[in-house]
Amino acid sequence: MNMYLYELKSLRKSTIIWTCAMISLAVLYFSIYPSFVNDAEDVKKLLGGYPAQVRVALGISLDNITSIMGFYTMVFSIITLCGAIQAMIFGTSILSKEARERTADFLLVKPVSRPAIVSAKLLASVTMLLATNVIYYIAVSILISIVKTSDYSVKQFFLINLSLFFLQLMFLAIGLLVSVFFKKLKSVLPISLGTVFGFYIIGVLLATGKEDGVRFISPFKYFDIPYIIKNSSYEVSYLITGTMIVIVAIAASYIIYTKKDIHAVS
Amino acid sequence: MNIFLRELKANRKALIIWSVCMFLLVVSGMGKYTAYSSGGQNNEIFNKMPDSLKALLGFGSLDVSKMSGYYAMLFLYIELTAAIHAVLLGSGIIAKEERDKTTEFLITKPVSRAAIITSKLLAALVNVLILNIVLLVSSIVMVSAYNKGEDISSEIVMFNLSMLIVQLIFLSLGAALAAFIKKPKAAGSLSTGILLVAFVISKITDLTDSMNYLNLFSPFKYFSYTNIVEGNGLNVIITILSLVLVAIFIVLVYLFYQKRDINV
Repeated sequence: MNMYLYELKSLRKSTIIWTCAMISLAVLYFSIYPSFVNDAEDVKKLLGGYPAQVRVALGISLDNITSIMGFYTMVFSIITLCGAIQAMIFGTSILSKEARERTADFLLVKPVSRPAIVSAKLLASVTMLLATNVIYYIAVSILISIVKTSDYSVKQFFLINLSLFFLQLMFLAIGLLVSVFFKKLKSVLPISLGTVFGFYIIGVLLATGKEDGVRFISPFKYFDIPYIIKNSSYEVSYLITGTMIVIVAIAASYIIYTKKDIHAVS
Repeated sequence: MNIFLRELKANRKALIIWSVCMFLLVVSGMGKYTAYSSGGQNNEIFNKMPDSLKALLGFGSLDVSKMSGYYAMLFLYIELTAAIHAVLLGSGIIAKEERDKTTEFLITKPVSRAAIITSKLLAALVNVLILNIVLLVSSIVMVSAYNKGEDISSEIVMFNLSMLIVQLIFLSLGAALAAFIKKPKAAGSLSTGILLVAFVISKITDLTDSMNYLNLFSPFKYFSYTNIVEGNGLNVIITILSLVLVAIFIVLVYLFYQKRDINV
């Protein structure tokens, strides 16, 4: 219990900064939504002059994009990037910081098993990520009800924001697994940022096609926002794969950390 | 000379990993070109959409069915990755002494602090140049492998020149922040945060024209991609101003580091 509370306290400042950053981003994007909707109105008027086929094709995508949900899709992609960086940094640093800050021998000679240590740290990270998500969701719900021009489905909105939490869990697990392989991680940033941006760019560039196999590579594409909007649910195969990845990564981290040689001073 | 060579050797592994990753990025990006270029009849529709809608779809004001427009869209992500590398390199190379507890050893050597900074910055510059050249070569090779239209090699060179300037800006910014901040470990996070803000700003100003003054804060937007795509090259005034900015940051590195209370 002690370790859990201690880790909560140590993660507190970072969590506050990340939550504020994500909310500020949402505020920034929503503040330009009104002018964006105006632009879209002009295009809809222009559409009147096009042949029916073009109008149908463009009209559908326009309605999608300019609805508050459609706009939120774009906002959300940047928010998920920030959330993923936060989760990845939590995951990579929470175990490696003992080695980095020379507190390993203090912690490991205490009469607690290594799995207990990992559990406490993991639970603390998950709690902080959950707190981030809850506060963000409340803030964005308030924002969206201020800015909206037409009604939206609360269930869809909730599901979209819940996918942020799942994505963060995936990156937390990946970060945890990556960190146990290193004897001493001197700096958490290069590997965290590299991994997150790598997956993000792969997601943006590669997964635009319809080939389903490619989407499995990048966690950012596991939760497809247009699909959620259309069907108000997640795609089962991706949900299962994501859960498997989280479970396997966390289990592997436990096993490796328990058997690992940890150096007191190196 | 020693410090310069030692820093080069220390960063060698990281540079190789980053170069390979960037090369793979260019390869996979160009591989997707066929998907974008084959939808020829979509052109008409694309051209009539207002810029904000195109920004939402990710294209901004570029014509992505032509190689030059597609490369411009791809380039933003290449530039983002190169900027991350530069920022981490710049802040890391100054902060790592205090992080790894090697400051005492280094400072007590009979080299002035200015000489130390010079060697480190030169080593960082060499790293940034190597990454830039790797990108230039892989871009030219990959583009000509997939290109069906006209040759855009001179435009690629222009793009890479603008990227070099952006890399230098972030490199010197990271170094200046690391020299200034009391806690060296926080320097990396802070400079990355600034970079992310700059990236988000570039995305937002794509969406709407009303906040174009924000472009001042985003080095990604200093050079207009549409200008380069049309073959107009880089705006001379902005290039000079950017180089002045880099020079200011570098002077700040020296100033802060000389006056700094080094924690052993």
